Amino acid sequence: MFQRTTLAGLLAVFLATAFAGTAWVAAQSAWPGPDAYVAADQDAADWILPARNYSGNRYMAGAQITPANVATLKKAWTAKVDARGPLEVAPIVWKGTMYVTSSHNDVYALDAATGAVKWHFPYKPHVIAFSANRGVALGEGKVYEATLDGHLIALDATTGKPVWNVVAAHDVSNTFFTMQPVPYKNMLLLGASNGDWGGIGYLSAFDAATGRRLWDWKTIPGPGEPGHNTWSGDSWKRGGGAIWSGLAIDPATSTVYVDAGNPQPDFLGTIRKGANLYTNSMVALDLSGAKPKIKWYHQFIPHDTHDWDPAMPPVLFSGTVNGAQRSLVAAGDKGGNFWVLDAGTGALVYHLAVSTQKGQTTEPNRKGDIACPNTNGGVEFNGGSYMPDTNAFYVPSVDQCGVWKSQGTATYVSGQFYLGGAFPALSGPSTGYMNAIDIGTGKFMWRKHLAFPQIGGALSMSTGVVFTGGVDGDFAAYDAKTGAVLWHYATGMTIQAPPGSYVLGDKQYVVVGAGPAGINFADPRFNKGAPTLEGSYSHATSAAITAFTLP
Amino acid sequence: MRRIALSLAALILCSGAVPARAARDDRASALAALADVRAAVSEIVRIEDGFAVGHGAYLRAAHRAMNALVGRADDGYAAAFGDSGDGIGTLGHLDQMLDQSGSWLWTPAVQGAKANVLAAAATLQSALGEKEMENYQADLTQALASLALVVGRSGESGVLGGLDGALANTTLGVPAGAATQSGCVAPTRTPAYGVLAGQLVYVALSREDAARGLPQGISVSRVEVTGTGVVLYSPAARAASAACRRPSHLQRTRAVAGAAASATPSYTAAQAHAGIAVYRRYCLQCHGVDLQGAAGPAVAGNDFLINARRNRWTLSDMRTTIFENMPFSNPGSLSAKQYADVTAFLLAANCYSAGVEPFPQVASAALAKVKLGPVRGAKPGNRKLGTCVVR
Repeated sequence: MFQRTTLAGLLAVFLATAFAGTAWVAAQSAWPGPDAYVAADQDAADWILPARNYSGNRYMAGAQITPANVATLKKAWTAKVDARGPLEVAPIVWKGTMYVTSSHNDVYALDAATGAVKWHFPYKPHVIAFSANRGVALGEGKVYEATLDGHLIALDATTGKPVWNVVAAHDVSNTFFTMQPVPYKNMLLLGASNGDWGGIGYLSAFDAATGRRLWDWKTIPGPGEPGHNTWSGDSWKRGGGAIWSGLAIDPATSTVYVDAGNPQPDFLGTIRKGANLYTNSMVALDLSGAKPKIKWYHQFIPHDTHDWDPAMPPVLFSGTVNGAQRSLVAAGDKGGNFWVLDAGTGALVYHLAVSTQKGQTTEPNRKGDIACPNTNGGVEFNGGSYMPDTNAFYVPSVDQCGVWKSQGTATYVSGQFYLGGAFPALSGPSTGYMNAIDIGTGKFMWRKHLAFPQIGGALSMSTGVVFTGGVDGDFAAYDAKTGAVLWHYATGMTIQAPPGSYVLGDKQYVVVGAGPAGINFADPRFNKGAPTLEGSYSHATSAAITAFTLP
Repeated sequence: MRRIALSLAALILCSGAVPARAARDDRASALAALADVRAAVSEIVRIEDGFAVGHGAYLRAAHRAMNALVGRADDGYAAAFGDSGDGIGTLGHLDQMLDQSGSWLWTPAVQGAKANVLAAAATLQSALGEKEMENYQADLTQALASLALVVGRSGESGVLGGLDGALANTTLGVPAGAATQSGCVAPTRTPAYGVLAGQLVYVALSREDAARGLPQGISVSRVEVTGTGVVLYSPAARAASAACRRPSHLQRTRAVAGAAASATPSYTAAQAHAGIAVYRRYCLQCHGVDLQGAAGPAVAGNDFLINARRNRWTLSDMRTTIFENMPFSNPGSLSAKQYADVTAFLLAANCYSAGVEPFPQVASAALAKVKLGPVRGAKPGNRKLGTCVVR
């Protein structure tokens, strides 16, 4: 039998569009309100924002897990989820329920104590290029997901039934979403993934009650806007600059920090001469008015021709630099750079290479040349975190080189990559680092060279432990001061998701998702002993969320 | 809640169908297209609100909704289930509107509407293959969301306005054969249609005509009562009147080439057979054993072909992606023969017929003449996915 609420909920879309501004769902005190997000750091029991707080810093003060007891950490439960693609989800936990998504936009509500599935919302989106989703936003009785087919969906958080479903992408033929929407005041903030398919990047705000679009902020300045003359000819019209990985917010100043990605066509710079603003830049936006205004921007790589996006979501923190306390914001890009900027002005404080770098200023040519890192190299989309107790920033990185070629021309075909070349082939070994950077000096406190790329972010705890996972599926706890591996667990799948933590029944849990390798991190070293296949292997055909706790 | 839902359903459904005329009448086509959408919606709503149980009743509803949307000429039409639309189908009417050598301000909205109809059809196609009620229901919900976008809203022009917006705000709302005048000038007689740069600014009616009822499809943002009747201003009127005060920046519309008959791809069965091994070795990990995608996108079947048609991909586009950008982890690393074989395999999996001419190993300008899309008369071995088995 059909449930009528689904149809009624869908027809609410007609209502919402016909009578704009009608508040639809009454507020419930059982759900986090705007103040709860601002104070998310103080709630050890829950995890209600993608990176724990508006600062984007996966750091927990006052943890149960310490360097002395972390070796006793054991698996509490595993919950299998859809495994059609890689798992990149950052779980959201609220009052004992965990909300996760899988690669093709299925949404699951799990019992955070046992992993049992409370409800499951299936989805079957058309995939433009690859499948991934990094999780839901939690609001007033609803969870929100942005999808691969360009929609923004609101589900009832208790039942998983759809409440509303809007087309959130301006052009669904060349735009999709992988980012978690971020709740802020009455809005959901969301960036679009269209940075390699011929579009112009934008950050959108939607009304959380109805899904109605409130505003867009485009990352490429149009005619008459400052920075427009950093693009030759008409190249700005397909300039890219997607804000696809995440964002940070300073509520006290109504500032949102975003990173705009690579310019297009990715590998052909000759048709877009100029610095190509605001691609490969961090931009601080003032949200206090009706529309966002630029406060400052800092371009990391002008006229990038290697797809070296600043993939790491910004992390706001207060750190000690040469003895003085400063408000800082951290960034990392796929070109292997780690950056620390002044959060108020965008001025550069530190720059450190965290991957092997080569051929940084050579544009790809038609013959092919080697440059490092490869397009999956450097610092990736789960970023890292800052620990005030050590005044250090912890961020994993990928070490790979590639052979780069351009094709001399770029033709826009709706729904296809717009590159002016092909993605580079891996050249040489593929390895990773776990890096600890001393914010006092801008130099390495320690770094560990690992056999496999590391893209699993970093969860740091005030007790002195840092968690991260590698693409070989090894989930490890490091000593924050020395880099010694205090504990590790082999998940048997690829970890491309960041860790999270919550407290339930007085026990602290650490949780991480793992799944198939996907198109980027398959590795011939997986599946040793299996019949050989040239090219890439997939590491696993399963995907799961695993929670750990102390005995 | 249910009462509101039903009365809203009534708002969508209550409109008389306007039969299509033999001569070009785009307004009538748009109204007929909307009527067919409403017929499809009513099939879905009726099955939701009825107490029918059983797989057969739900399949029948999905088929009837599909019929109303695609029309008799389409492969997806299943005559045995009946049709509460007019037989031409929303797609048939939209195709008539788009099949002309000119291009109008309303063309993008109609193209967008067509894309959304195709999306709804793909979802209904998927619904037909579902075994679980939960998944069938999810498909119907998604189809309704797509159809809502086809209808659009009369307050917006452009793609977001859908057909309602195009009828209310552009010359699409002007009846065939009616004389128009500049929308910057007050009407001099009734009825009168004031237009400016493709936008419909106002409809002026005599008092008697207005008393008989407003024309279908118009949306009124402002009314002026004059000596001779009423002037009904469209939602676009405010923006249009601003343009009246400026030197005209008439929007250039690109001429759209008439749709030429599409050539078909050529490949041999031997190539397709050899391509199986290439696919298995280099492509399967990302594109799936059933070619529906996993980490990567679908490369065969309804998902791939309907999207290819919507994006107007040609065989040349497909060749470039395969020969130059794949495998994703090592582009261009296979031999020309391997690339030709795997392309032949994919064409076969998409139910194109094999022939005598092989798929070429070198690029050819002729490939750009082949438009990709669902193959007429195809008999997919996997009906749900729309793929053919390759031996």
